[in-house]
Amino acid sequence: MSGYTGKILRINLNDQKVTSIDTGAYQQWIGGHGMGSAIFYDLVKDKAICGFHPDNIVTIMTSPLSGTLAPGASARTEVQGIGVQSSPIEWFTRSNFGGRFSAMLKYAGWDGIIIEGKAEKPVWIDIRNDSVQIRKARNLWGLDTWQTQDRIWREVCGKSDFKDWIRFDTGGKTTQTTQRPAVLTIGPAGENLSRTACLIHDAGNASGQGGFGGVWGSKNLKAISVIGTGSIQIANAEALVEARIWAQKKYSLNLDSPEDSWFAVFGRRRPQNVFWKRRRKARLQACIGCHLGCKERTDLGLGNESTCQESAFYVEFNKRKHSGKMTNAVHIAADLLQRYGINAYEATRGLEYIRDLHKKGVLGPGKEIECDLPFEKLGDLEFVEKFLKMIAYREGIGDDFAEGFYRAAKRWGRLEEDLKTGLLYYSYWGLPDHGYDPRAEVEWGYGSILGDRDINEHDFNIYLFWGPSIQKWNGLTPKPSAKRLVQIISSKLVPYENNTSMLNFSEDNIYSHPMAKLVAWHRYYTRFWKQSVLYCDHRWPDFMNTRGEDDQGLTGDGEPIFLNAVTGNNFNFSDGMEIGRKIWNLDNAIWTLQGRHRDMVHFSDYIYEIPFGGGVFKSVGWYYLPGKLNGKWDYISVNGRRLDRSKFESFKTKFYELQGWDPKTGWPNRKTLESMGLAHVAEQLSIKNKLGET
Amino acid sequence: MKGQISRRDFLKITRNLSIGLGVADLVPYPIWVDNSIAAIPVSKGYLLVDSKKCQGCMSCMLTCSLVHEGCENLSFSRIQVIQNPFARFSEDITVVQCRQCVSPTCVEVCPTEALKPDPQFGYVRNIDKEACIGCLACVESCPFSPSRALFNFEKEYALKCDLCSDTPFWKEFGGPKGKQACVEVCPVRAIRFSGNIPLQEGDTGYEVNLRKQGWRFLGYTAS
Repeated sequence: MSGYTGKILRINLNDQKVTSIDTGAYQQWIGGHGMGSAIFYDLVKDKAICGFHPDNIVTIMTSPLSGTLAPGASARTEVQGIGVQSSPIEWFTRSNFGGRFSAMLKYAGWDGIIIEGKAEKPVWIDIRNDSVQIRKARNLWGLDTWQTQDRIWREVCGKSDFKDWIRFDTGGKTTQTTQRPAVLTIGPAGENLSRTACLIHDAGNASGQGGFGGVWGSKNLKAISVIGTGSIQIANAEALVEARIWAQKKYSLNLDSPEDSWFAVFGRRRPQNVFWKRRRKARLQACIGCHLGCKERTDLGLGNESTCQESAFYVEFNKRKHSGKMTNAVHIAADLLQRYGINAYEATRGLEYIRDLHKKGVLGPGKEIECDLPFEKLGDLEFVEKFLKMIAYREGIGDDFAEGFYRAAKRWGRLEEDLKTGLLYYSYWGLPDHGYDPRAEVEWGYGSILGDRDINEHDFNIYLFWGPSIQKWNGLTPKPSAKRLVQIISSKLVPYENNTSMLNFSEDNIYSHPMAKLVAWHRYYTRFWKQSVLYCDHRWPDFMNTRGEDDQGLTGDGEPIFLNAVTGNNFNFSDGMEIGRKIWNLDNAIWTLQGRHRDMVHFSDYIYEIPFGGGVFKSVGWYYLPGKLNGKWDYISVNGRRLDRSKFESFKTKFYELQGWDPKTGWPNRKTLESMGLAHVAEQLSIKNKLGET
Repeated sequence: MKGQISRRDFLKITRNLSIGLGVADLVPYPIWVDNSIAAIPVSKGYLLVDSKKCQGCMSCMLTCSLVHEGCENLSFSRIQVIQNPFARFSEDITVVQCRQCVSPTCVEVCPTEALKPDPQFGYVRNIDKEACIGCLACVESCPFSPSRALFNFEKEYALKCDLCSDTPFWKEFGGPKGKQACVEVCPVRAIRFSGNIPLQEGDTGYEVNLRKQGWRFLGYTAS
């Protein structure tokens, strides 16, 4: 059981019962998402319940690599359960976050946590190695996420100033650490059952999608704190150290020669994933075990650890208001998202939406949709403070905002119209579009609509869109050539390797069988390597790396090396892809039991009716992807596209057939499930009359 | 400065030096201490850190535990990175490592001489696990906070930085003449080995500026 602690913590909030289950029972799934899906399948008898139902469970899973030296794989924690954000069905969904929670959980002796039931009154869970207590949260309920963590640190560690060893007596044994407990908590948004609420850990690590903050709120669960001082056994410690140093030296960013990494993900030349104006007095900040941080802490003391959409959220509003200059309001806005625990994508797309409704004269004081936000101050601190507070506390029209802006539009009677025009930029399952629009980057859109959420998986996006597009926007001829790039990437797409058509984004290929294979490969890869083994989306996969031999990145060889060193298994990349396929099939079976049918698998109307105008990139430049034009590879602009409904339907049929699912319904077939050892799932589907027929 | 001095003189000199220089990021000036005069031979190696450069990934801690103990355990790491996620740069991270003290109280108090300078590895202060009785005297006597000597509560023996002279789970040759795993693994090169004795006043001499060209490339100031 190297890499595992051997037990999963099971907490039933109904009766405050704390038990554990043997990790071995789920070890075939390796960790993370695979284990979470299997546990959910076993424990939630009626999968058609809503996310706020007390019988819904939340799994919080680690991987064998959590807490180890494996690069970009030590820190992620996978959260699953029935979410409350999507529509028309609240899908069984997932989200994951970085930091140090998963590592600390392993050091405490747990491979994961299962939360069941609902506490009568607010509680928090206090884990100190083997000792697990469910404690009253009366003094925490109402605090923001940062205040909560600070309070819990002091509660667990006494008067420590965190400058010395802190000793604990657990289970009759004394141990010590210098570390603060790792706390995962909800803020006011979660307490007030917002469907946009996140789970927050440290300053800027969020389990953002799915509305799990609201799910915790419904369970009266404020926080989980864990401090661990135990050991994780490693099958081959020497191999792990050697592989880490080898991978880092050969493929990661070399600070003495950063230009060598001009095209790489594992060792990105510009590692910081922030979109606001950078400060010079700052440091990179990394999750535990990561070989290259993507976050920052600065001398400003604001915006700590916020990245990606939190950092981008208020920038454009703010700059527009201040003649192109950015003020500290953008950092404070990010901090407020973290402290209230609000999903940055909902906040961004939602704010864009109500701004546009205000411009149209539909929303505002005394308007059809009554809203007392001071739009004349949009871009100022005062506006964003009020906006986010309204969501977090459901103040005034904030009661609608807190439902997510898709449901808000429905309440206002505007949903159909605004999805037709695209004014409400929500492309799939009632969820905000990520910006990598389905009309442009189809693998992102298809993956999202065939799954349960905005995939937020940058595996192809970084190489195929960002790499060439940034170069084009700067007037450069993109390197490598489109032909070379697709050769390199396609060589790594095991088990569909060397099929370059899978990466052809020309209009005549986006509904093709090879494109179905690309989407399938992506589903399997992420389900296993990124969501079960928990390699981080920011540093994996490493398809192309200009520091590698012949520009070849680590992917293919790299992923199994670390897993095998930790577990002692003799696992190869294909083995992982096969488990990924199995997990994907189990997830689809769960969605089927929740009520999915192929007829509901479609995008919002504007995706089919309005040509893609560049979306969030329209002021920057055209959206480029590799494609074949007149038989030759090039980076082609995909602006102006819209998806064709009937062709997308034919694409779905190809995809379902490739999966071995019934193309009439999208439901899994018995033969397919049985071939993967999921006969019991087939049986359940059969009982519910939801088994595919062909 | 070169010459033969006693340990008492040495401490006086370094105290004066630290007052006179008052610059935290200077590379330590080489100081000669004659081992025939010093009661305990000085170590021929030291770890220096740049806590402003540290990215807080704790890879050094994970590696230290791994190469010495064969498992992952932050509490077994001889180098400790302590961070407050809510604090501003540069108050948010503290890195503490064993100083290989010129006058090591941990060596002086060890009742079984399990902790002593290791002549095979440049007199690095090393612990013989077999001889350690787990009395915690070294841990409690360390004048620095947190104590740079620590304890394996699972196997009940003391742990201390040996500059990787004894790493059963790493094939590299360690010690002052070899490699140190934390130096090798640090992704941003915020840890450096030095053969010179750092200033012995507080942690000043052990904190250096390792932010060179590459750091500016990342957009950060080196000062």
